[in-house]
Amino acid sequence: MAGTKIATAKRKGEGDMHASLSGTIKAVTIDAMLIEVSGEERTEGEKKPTDGGDNLKEWLRALGVNVKFFDKAATLIINAVPPEPGISIYEPLLRDYRKTIELGLDTVQRIVTPSKMFLVAAKGNRANAFANCTVSHVNPTYPNGIDQMVIKSVTGQEVLIGARPDNAVLLSVRDLYFIGRVMETGRPVTETVMTIGNQNHLIRIGTPVGFLTSETGATVQPNDRIILGGLMRGMPALNLEQGVGKRTTGLHLMRERDTLKTTNNSCLGCGECERHCPARIMPGMISRCAEFKYFERAEQFHIHSCIECGICGYWCKAKRPLLQYIRLAKYELALLRSSSNSIQTDTHKEETGEQTGENE
Amino acid sequence: MTKPLEPILTVSMPPHVHCGRTIKGYMGETLVALLPAVIMSMIAFGMGAMRVVALSCAVAVITEALCNKITKREQTIDDLSALHTGLLFAFLLPASAPWWLVAIGAATSIVLGKMIFGGLGATPLSAPLIGWATCRISWGAYMDTNTTMLMSDLSAPLQQLKFFGLKSIESIDSITLIMGKQLGGLGEVQIAALLAGGAFLLIRRHIRWEIPISFIVGLLITAWIYQLIDPTTYASPLFHLLAGGALFGAFFLATDPASSPIGLIPSLLFGLMAGAMVIVIRVYGEYPDGVPFAILLANLFTPLLDRIRPKPFGGPYQLTQDPEDDAICAKCCE
Repeated sequence: MAGTKIATAKRKGEGDMHASLSGTIKAVTIDAMLIEVSGEERTEGEKKPTDGGDNLKEWLRALGVNVKFFDKAATLIINAVPPEPGISIYEPLLRDYRKTIELGLDTVQRIVTPSKMFLVAAKGNRANAFANCTVSHVNPTYPNGIDQMVIKSVTGQEVLIGARPDNAVLLSVRDLYFIGRVMETGRPVTETVMTIGNQNHLIRIGTPVGFLTSETGATVQPNDRIILGGLMRGMPALNLEQGVGKRTTGLHLMRERDTLKTTNNSCLGCGECERHCPARIMPGMISRCAEFKYFERAEQFHIHSCIECGICGYWCKAKRPLLQYIRLAKYELALLRSSSNSIQTDTHKEETGEQTGENE
Repeated sequence: MTKPLEPILTVSMPPHVHCGRTIKGYMGETLVALLPAVIMSMIAFGMGAMRVVALSCAVAVITEALCNKITKREQTIDDLSALHTGLLFAFLLPASAPWWLVAIGAATSIVLGKMIFGGLGATPLSAPLIGWATCRISWGAYMDTNTTMLMSDLSAPLQQLKFFGLKSIESIDSITLIMGKQLGGLGEVQIAALLAGGAFLLIRRHIRWEIPISFIVGLLITAWIYQLIDPTTYASPLFHLLAGGALFGAFFLATDPASSPIGLIPSLLFGLMAGAMVIVIRVYGEYPDGVPFAILLANLFTPLLDRIRPKPFGGPYQLTQDPEDDAICAKCCE
């Protein structure tokens, strides 16, 4: 049945997975599950807990909400800045689903109990504040919509990727919307909001990308890329049967001729990456270190400050895969540091994030 | 999941879009920026200039191709960088340079200046200047623009200043200098054409304002200080700026991407240092024009200057074996 729990999250705080349609599980791979869809039946909504705090948090988690960062904090930041060029899911959600978002915000307040709330929006976008909420605007340029940059614009803190801000919680409008939905229906999160073309759609998790592209009328040619997410940070789909994930925010079809084809040119040292880097590091130098496997040295060039925005690769004259080098070095460093504990590295691979379904 | 899935999609890391700038484009536009100076030099020095330019470019490209062949690397001459180096080197030579000097200099620029360090982007010093310095030190007499071009009726401002004192350059006005009517490296003295090319590069954002401007400021200030000390011995700042290869150095040599620093403060310091050094060498040095050596010296400071860095985002951080870092690791596995 739709809404049945099909996978539990291994990492603390992350939401469990639920089937988005009813059907039979045909195959399970390391990061996906193949479900043959048979019908529309779905589970009954669960009873909502009335108290706040950890009880509510665990209830939300079991229904698929990622509550990893829902700690008690003085500041609550709502991110309404479009995360990437070409992704515009926040504004229509704010406009059309205000009630749901307000409910979501109330729920989160019961857990976080903030004393101050900020709604961060892009300049030029209308954003009506919620109760007790200050609206602040940032320039509508990438990468200002990335969580780290939004936290910085409100609190002045510079938070590394994967770390938590001090005494603050950041949620996107999208998160609030889904929490609101869970609270309204008592049913788990089985959908995601995506920008496809110029429109925003509510898409069931696990819908194959091939189904979505054919719905839009586009034909996929060999060597095209289908990108789940934005053009700067999104991951390409492996094949047309890959399902959309819980965190997917957009779908782009890129023709072969429009894509960035990276090369193995050596770094020119022109410094364009460094001038544009929002994290004030030297992606060129880090990529050189990674290229020649000097990962420890990459750390001295402050590789962990990277917020993985992809701007360096966009500007690189030599078309070097800079972000890929950075991620490789980060990965190798993590392996290096946890080599004494090999089990730890294995668990990383077993992500329960995505799932593949098959529509009839 | 094992059945072949059609169509086959391309999978790659983000970002998936690009600004469209390439090494070849950068080199090509730099060559375009140098074109007015090439034409002006041919007008000023005739076939001699064309001979040197053509020979230098050809030798540079052939040398790079040979180096790639010998080291069994992928051929890189199609990125135009060898042509660029060859042209810059030719600009530093007198139009009267003998063919073997041009050939040796261009080959040295590529081999010692560039390929020995691993090719484009790895050069610690500006490649054409390496070739120039080799020739200048080894065959100084042939590199001397004044003695090798006695036939020309143009003046050689820097040599005259050096050997005959301030009086001898009084008759030379700035307009003559700007129009390139002076003896020197065949391209480096085409001031007006080089200014146009430099402005083009600045507008196209291939070079940043920091290095050229601070280079010029450093040069002007130092020259001005000397003039304050003794106006009867030292020439005016404007003269120093317009005579010889100062502007060529500021826009085309000092801004070489690999051998110049990147940040704002390092770039400014780099330019000031090189500019000041030009005057110091011109005043005390054995050589009439100090631009190439000044830039080579400043290049040596680049790694040091590049250490002046802003604080990284979120402060310096070292990965430990803390379980908290799982999140960071998870990010890279995604």
